[in-house]
Amino acid sequence: MSIEEFNNAIKNKIPSGYELKEDQDSYGNSQAWITIREKKYALVVANAIKAFKGRCVVATAYKEQNSHVVIYHFDIDGVIINLQLKTNDSTIYSITPILKSADWAEREIREMYSVEPVGHPSNDRLFLDYGLAKGVLNEYISLSKMQMGVSDTDILWSKVKKEVKL
Amino acid sequence: MSKQITIGPFHPELEESVYFKLEADENRVVTKVNVINGFIHRGMESLVTKKNFMQNLILTERVCSLCSNNHPFTYVLAAEKIAGVQIPLRAEALRVVADEVKRTASDLFNLSMLTHLAHEHDLMKDTLNTRELMQDLKESIWGNRMDMSVNQLTGVKYDLNDETVKTILDTATKVEERVLKLREDYNNSTSFKDKTVGVGVLPHKDALEIGVTGPVARGSGINNDVRVKAPYSLYAIRPELQPKVTLFEEGDVFARAMARFGDILEALRILKDVVSNLPDGKTYLEKRPHIPAGEAVVRTEAPRGELIYYLKTDGSQKPVRMRWKVPTFTNWEALKVMILGDKVDNVTMILNSIDPCISCTER
Repeated sequence: MSIEEFNNAIKNKIPSGYELKEDQDSYGNSQAWITIREKKYALVVANAIKAFKGRCVVATAYKEQNSHVVIYHFDIDGVIINLQLKTNDSTIYSITPILKSADWAEREIREMYSVEPVGHPSNDRLFLDYGLAKGVLNEYISLSKMQMGVSDTDILWSKVKKEVKL
Repeated sequence: MSKQITIGPFHPELEESVYFKLEADENRVVTKVNVINGFIHRGMESLVTKKNFMQNLILTERVCSLCSNNHPFTYVLAAEKIAGVQIPLRAEALRVVADEVKRTASDLFNLSMLTHLAHEHDLMKDTLNTRELMQDLKESIWGNRMDMSVNQLTGVKYDLNDETVKTILDTATKVEERVLKLREDYNNSTSFKDKTVGVGVLPHKDALEIGVTGPVARGSGINNDVRVKAPYSLYAIRPELQPKVTLFEEGDVFARAMARFGDILEALRILKDVVSNLPDGKTYLEKRPHIPAGEAVVRTEAPRGELIYYLKTDGSQKPVRMRWKVPTFTNWEALKVMILGDKVDNVTMILNSIDPCISCTER
């Protein structure tokens, strides 16, 4: 599969448009960087990845002022397709119902950045305990604060108090 | 009547901490699988944004011990891509040498743990003794049995001479002979095959859907080895070095073990070839590169499969964002397919067959 073939597969299905950049490393491996303007069209790209028998390798998120940037990294037989989108309301459209391989990646974004993948089949935490607030990577948290339950509330101490019988 | 069974998070048969909550029927067949993670989460993706590019070489080498060479290797590839640096050919070769040495030792360790869990202690002893040769080699050349500290930005920190090349060639030849014998012993051991053939099956269709990589994928008939599909470093410069991947269709514990034997033998072939044809030249560029603003996605083939790094920089001395995904991140999800319908007694062996690296996965 070439990047041009992939572009042909999505170009008439994203009405609000997108940007496509291609880069090549010094070893000759090509990658595509697709930036969509409307986040819902991630589903179109995911469907195209599925049609080409590709998989979601992982997804990255980071905070940018008042929004979050999410980048999905897909693979189609050795070619990486990076899909970038922005969300201002901390939600994205989950692509896990289309690509099962995105399951853990989206769940991790939810607990690390508090960005909700709407329509994700699982609500379970991936790595962090339920006692820790979502979105721990949104801000710098000192170790001492982390040990208190990463929250403005007293999650940890309320839990301890409940179990202590006076 | 179904019965709840828990294994972990701390258990003698688990290499690292995982917590299985299983339901099993009266024949001890697993009817429900729930895996709880997070016991080794260290927030490393946050930590790396507080360290500079040089300090992150040290930190990435400590994500885990078994694939400790692959993390800095992939990280420097990402930083070098952003900086537009091309490293000397000799450095490319030396990176591959270290990588294949680690792959051989790591895969042999997994096989010895597998035979330990299958209660095949003679096989375990022979496998560990063979791995010990690779450990001694690492110690004699790199001064350490796990963290080899090979990579630096723009090259490597070590070099080989005629004497060390001979040591590598002698060890590789000796290990190869023993690995061929071991593979025969594994194949001839009816008790080992009884415990592993048809156990923990991951069908080809599920393997594709979940997106597994490495020997787990190869055991289910999928070749997504990065060295072949998107070759990097010396694998791209000298395509004849790309491994001839061994594929199996069975998708069981035995197939995954045999896929690892294939990986080890190819690693030894590559190792011998590279050290026998080492290019001349420098081992690193003397000018320390400036890492400008940019982003890069780079991947390599770790012993357990595909390792991918995303790096975003803003021209300062520290990464803005660094993200990595290790093979176990996806292979782990396949455990639910492998364990369901199998015996409770096989659970830890099935877990071992994906060669889990939980420190890497949880970061």
